[in-house]
Amino acid sequence: MNEPTVGRRRALKVVGASLGAAAFARAVAPLTELTATTNAAEFLAKHYKELDADEIAAMIDRLEQETRTRYGAEVTIRDLKPAEDVQFAYALNLSVCIGCRRCAEACHVENNHDRKTHQSYIRVFEMEASSLDFENGNATYDHAVPAPGKFYMPVQCQQCENPPCTHVCPVEATWQEPDGIVVVDYNWCIGCRYCEAACPYHARRFNWSAPEVPAGEINPDQGLLSNRIRPQGVVEKCTFCLHRTREGRLPACLEACPTGARIFGNVLDESSEIRWVLENKRVFVLKEELGTRPRFFYFFDR
Amino acid sequence: MTVILIHVVALAACERERANDDRVVRSSVDPAQVTEIEIPESLRGLPVGPENPRGVAAVVPCATCHEVPDASVPLPTSARGLAGPHRGLRLEHGDLACGACHHPTDRDALRLADGRSIDLVEAMHLCAQCHGPQARAYRHGAHGGMRGHWDVREGPRTRNHCVSCHDPHEPAFGSFAPMPPPRDRFLPAGEAVPHE
Amino acid sequence: MEPLRPSTETDPNATSFVRFLVDAFDEATNGSRLFYALMIALTAIALVGAHAWANQVVLGMSVTGMTDHVSWGLYIANFTFGVGLAAGGVMMVIPAYLYHDEDMHEVVLVGEVLAIAAIVMCVMFVVADMGRPDRFWHLIPGIGRFNWPISMLTWDVVVLNGYLLINLHVVGYLVYQRWRGRPARPGVYLPFVFLSIAWAISIHTVTAFLYSGLGGRPFWNTALLAPRFLASAFVTGPAFLVLTLALVEKTLGFTVPKRAPELLVSIIRITSLVNLFMLGAEIFSEFYAGGSHVASARYLLFGLHGHHELVPWFWTALTLNVLAVVVLLTPALSARRPVLFTALAMTFVGVYLEKGMGLIVPGFIPSTLHEIVPYSPSLAEWQVTAGIWAVGMMIFTIGVRIVVHAQTGAMHADVGLGADRGGD
Repeated sequence: MNEPTVGRRRALKVVGASLGAAAFARAVAPLTELTATTNAAEFLAKHYKELDADEIAAMIDRLEQETRTRYGAEVTIRDLKPAEDVQFAYALNLSVCIGCRRCAEACHVENNHDRKTHQSYIRVFEMEASSLDFENGNATYDHAVPAPGKFYMPVQCQQCENPPCTHVCPVEATWQEPDGIVVVDYNWCIGCRYCEAACPYHARRFNWSAPEVPAGEINPDQGLLSNRIRPQGVVEKCTFCLHRTREGRLPACLEACPTGARIFGNVLDESSEIRWVLENKRVFVLKEELGTRPRFFYFFDR
Repeated sequence: MTVILIHVVALAACERERANDDRVVRSSVDPAQVTEIEIPESLRGLPVGPENPRGVAAVVPCATCHEVPDASVPLPTSARGLAGPHRGLRLEHGDLACGACHHPTDRDALRLADGRSIDLVEAMHLCAQCHGPQARAYRHGAHGGMRGHWDVREGPRTRNHCVSCHDPHEPAFGSFAPMPPPRDRFLPAGEAVPHE
Repeated sequence: MEPLRPSTETDPNATSFVRFLVDAFDEATNGSRLFYALMIALTAIALVGAHAWANQVVLGMSVTGMTDHVSWGLYIANFTFGVGLAAGGVMMVIPAYLYHDEDMHEVVLVGEVLAIAAIVMCVMFVVADMGRPDRFWHLIPGIGRFNWPISMLTWDVVVLNGYLLINLHVVGYLVYQRWRGRPARPGVYLPFVFLSIAWAISIHTVTAFLYSGLGGRPFWNTALLAPRFLASAFVTGPAFLVLTLALVEKTLGFTVPKRAPELLVSIIRITSLVNLFMLGAEIFSEFYAGGSHVASARYLLFGLHGHHELVPWFWTALTLNVLAVVVLLTPALSARRPVLFTALAMTFVGVYLEKGMGLIVPGFIPSTLHEIVPYSPSLAEWQVTAGIWAVGMMIFTIGVRIVVHAQTGAMHADVGLGADRGGD
């Protein structure tokens, strides 16, 4: 008789499958915690470039509200558009930088970076005086500066004219704005980190966990595409403080520099400081041979 | 620090307009704009105490002690002989002696290369006479930093005085501790890369 | 319990296909105690992986060992290897269809099941590596924003999904027709078979282009990367299939034509040599002139600036590959099945190490600014990886059993569900 065997086998399979399903539900149970940190509006958010003014306003409202609930801080997020006839560029005087890292610290504070990891977009390298090779560079120095026989090279996003990072993004979550700044739509990024692999300058950062910033330390002057508190699982980068610079203000790193090593401005303005530096100093860029055409120029006074 | 408004003629860059150029951009460093230069307290006098509650430092104007032009007492040739409140002053500015900058008889003034005297707060002109490249870079916003706006059409900008950063008697910077190194998960701080 | 009504000639395909799926799955899950033990173990591992992944989604990817310096790790390493495995499955298709090798026809579907299982694994590894898996829909053309053709990742999405669909169609159609007792109409499946040959090449080429297109990563930015990928894919795919066929013969009572594994082994003889040759060529190019571009290779082979984490893995992989080649080229050794199978397993592991962690991690060490931040996968990463492999093995096992049962006639429409077929 075969039928009892078959029936028992069938019954066992059903029991097994039910147990498996229940076990699976238990296994992925932690996912239910996501309801605390995400919602339908965030899930369905459209790409920044497809939002009209009303939708952007609604999104900003939602983000400000989320900051209120999750971080306990009142913030103002603005969506500043690029100005016409503005192309930003940045220059750094390597004869004057002393490696004090105040720029990195200012970036940390201005951009509401995670406190636990003390994140910053700027990494300052202590280099051998005779060499531009990063093989001889060290970003983790912890002694009095400037040290003899060394010079200091802060590196941040170069806002390249030909950025490899924007080419590789599979969902167009990062692109170059008309004024030259390469931005990330934090609501659109899927967190694949291909851009982080593609960047030759170690400029991009990933939110390996949700940023932790105490309410009292949050910079409330925020930009939608720049320093609003980013969610977990997305990529971010230096935006030349576009929430400041698109209003004509200086970026935070420049203001913090005690030696005046940083110069910033609109390179299309013939009488700007940055233009003078580019025309009168022997400037160079990092990894020029890669063809990325950075907007971040380095020079020595001598 | 008291901030004195100075119309920065030194920042003169002629306003250029090209009638035929479609992309005429109004200069963001137009001399008609006003940029503030923060004048350090040490140029107003001798610091003798902490700031009062209104943030005004206690300085004693030079004229308090050096009221009468002291033609009979020449400038010292080195700082070692200085007495009174100037005791302990170190002069390590290349091979310069006091008379290189200070007016020989008027302690409230400095002396330019052609003999003209200028007020202490106008020291930048004197610095520029020897340190031309730095002065030129400063005029073009490439030296000494700034705070405020890159586009002065949008808002004000504050610059530093030479003396804000460079002590004229001892201009060389010492070294000091930097902000802490980056906190990478698997890269210990302070570890220098050994060279092969 | 009454067996379900068997299919008849007049049944429409829609209902009949559903019946086929139920029948196939039902039959494939009939097995010995050993089979059930295996499936339960794989399920347990898969559940551990699922739980680890759920934690990762909630807590963030800080539970992994990845950092801003080494931003891709075990997941992408396995993904890369998995694409190769999927491409290698086509190795049987070429002789079967291009060269009308009748013996290969019997077993070619096993290779395509491998392709299906491997692609599913690859997709799971990609999802596991995404920081925001909830935003997966951003990748869908038309609904999201698909940066095709500029981004190589979009090409990968297209070719991998296409390859999956092609193989599902071919396997599904051929097995279904066999189950129905009807001849397979060449027009329905043959074009897709030939398409799958070219497509298999493309999936691994595109995956290689993901890496070789990055100018800022000199370790990857070599023209040789795509050829190396293909050579190693055509080692691991056939190796896995030879081992599978031997296992199938033993456990499912299916007689595999001897020529099939023999042909696969002779293919591996060539491709494993080509693989080693390309590795040698790469090493020469890196080390002869030196300079800073050799830093990653130096780190992998000899260690750099006091960091030697990957050195033992590389030399192990190389040893395994070389030993396997020696066995394959020595008739006295390769004629003995246990030795041959060991060699095939060795080269499978060797390529897994060399192409997985041995390719991805050195691309990030030193970083673009020459910093060395070591990487080792965290426990969570191992758990998720093991879970995904378990799912892949489960899909493969079920799929092979379906294919073999259809082949042997143990699974047939006329027989009906629930009837005892004898044996397993």
